[in-house]
Amino acid sequence: MGEVTKAKLEAIRNGELSAVENIRQALERISKLNPKINAFIEPNHNAISQAEAVDKKLNRGERVGKLAGLAIGIKSNINVKGLRATCASRTLEGYVATYNAEVIKRILREDGIIIGMTNMDEFACGSSGETSAFGVTDNPAAPGHIPGGSSSGSAAAVAAGMCDLSLGSDTAGSIRNPASHCGVVGVKPTYGLVPRQGLIDLAMSLDQIGPFAPDVYGVALLLEVIAGFNPNECVMLNVKGVSYADELEAELKGMRIGTSPKFRELTDPKIMEVIDSAIEKFHDFGAEIVEVELPHLEKGLPAYYLIMSVEFFSATRKFDGRKYGKRIEDVCGDEVMRRILRGQYISRKEYRGKYYQRALQVRTIIREELMAALEKVDVIVGPTVPKLPHKLGTSLTPMEMYAYDYLTAPTNLASICGGVIKAGEVDGIPVGLQVQGKMLGEGEMFRVLRAYEAVE
Amino acid sequence: MSEERLKEIERSAEEIVESFVEAAEGLPSKRETYYSHEVYNIVRPDGEPSPSGERSEFRGRFIEIMPGSDEDGNLKVEVARWVR
Repeated sequence: MGEVTKAKLEAIRNGELSAVENIRQALERISKLNPKINAFIEPNHNAISQAEAVDKKLNRGERVGKLAGLAIGIKSNINVKGLRATCASRTLEGYVATYNAEVIKRILREDGIIIGMTNMDEFACGSSGETSAFGVTDNPAAPGHIPGGSSSGSAAAVAAGMCDLSLGSDTAGSIRNPASHCGVVGVKPTYGLVPRQGLIDLAMSLDQIGPFAPDVYGVALLLEVIAGFNPNECVMLNVKGVSYADELEAELKGMRIGTSPKFRELTDPKIMEVIDSAIEKFHDFGAEIVEVELPHLEKGLPAYYLIMSVEFFSATRKFDGRKYGKRIEDVCGDEVMRRILRGQYISRKEYRGKYYQRALQVRTIIREELMAALEKVDVIVGPTVPKLPHKLGTSLTPMEMYAYDYLTAPTNLASICGGVIKAGEVDGIPVGLQVQGKMLGEGEMFRVLRAYEAVE
Repeated sequence: MSEERLKEIERSAEEIVESFVEAAEGLPSKRETYYSHEVYNIVRPDGEPSPSGERSEFRGRFIEIMPGSDEDGNLKVEVARWVR
């Protein structure tokens, strides 16, 4: 299990499959499936010529990059020169990026092929993939249900085989939530490990770009390509180079794996059955299972929504319709408007530290609790999303919608890493296991994900 | 967006803020966390100007990401309408 990405790369390197053939197959699949799934907003019409350049290098026997010939989908809030970075909003409908985000430069340096821009919740404001101005995305793994969000298109595209790998962004679960619902592997890296330059912000103190893939090798490979210090950014960890893909091992003996009774309080019992059975397997692999206390975990969600709203309100002030695009308040959907108004309300009412400052204090509490738990164990495992994805078009209150983020938002508040892999199914719908690691603990996180994948 | 719809969204936005205040009641006061790391590479720790080598490296990085340049590599900016 888990050899899809490696096998594809080897086939391209040894000439069994050309990069052009691979890209053509991906484009054909997009053209066939996208009318129903709506995972892509815009395909890259230059992808074939980029693939031809990779094939030329291969034919001349030149060294090729780590991602040579792979088709990679990019969330529409990341700038790719010549393609539209719309954030799935009418605000930026006609905006064509004039430069490449740092992560895109790194992918291109390793000969990855950008296959197109994926659908998403408008400005990443949503957990269902339903708030896009370009229409909802269907879930290829559970048709008729939401794919999760906000990186809905990036997860659905990988699940449907429309691309080999993809990039999303995660502010409170926007990679892990759709990875769980679509049954693919997704990773939110440690905050500061991956450059954010060229990402259109939702909340700058929480956003991280991260990978999706059909297997652990794929996410590990894409993360090692995009990770590492960028001197043009002031809030980055000083990490010069990382290597994950070639160091993946499935050995768990001696590892301490934590889990918390709090997860059971917040999660649908049917989902917990699947997660409990996954945790039992870790015990069988030789890991020690340790119970950890996370007494205030559920307080993370309201704190997150306050911090995010203030940062989002600030980030959207540039969309005033004067220089480019349209004025955001004139064209945005309800959820974007709700977050703008909430940010405005908090900024207006903030006195004696009642709201924003208090939310930052709760962030400290959540961070300290998770850090203390991760002192005792190597990783914490549990469910990703507390409930199953609803059917497309179901009407939910804002609070019901936000409840999808209960188990993922704390990871962002604490700035640690988190990865998701399919643990099983409930009524034919995928359920993802979340593995949270320490700051820069991606190595241990991948080890646990890979061990699970190897047995499944 | 209609006035009525806007009012409804505004009301739900305020309700969520107030529900946070309730949720945070009784929690201890702590130092605020703005970012996960305390050390940012914004300024040189010694407060001295950067050496010339670093400055030219910075210029290189700046040129690489600037939106437009002339044939000499100078940054092209838009001239404001009020400039004669």
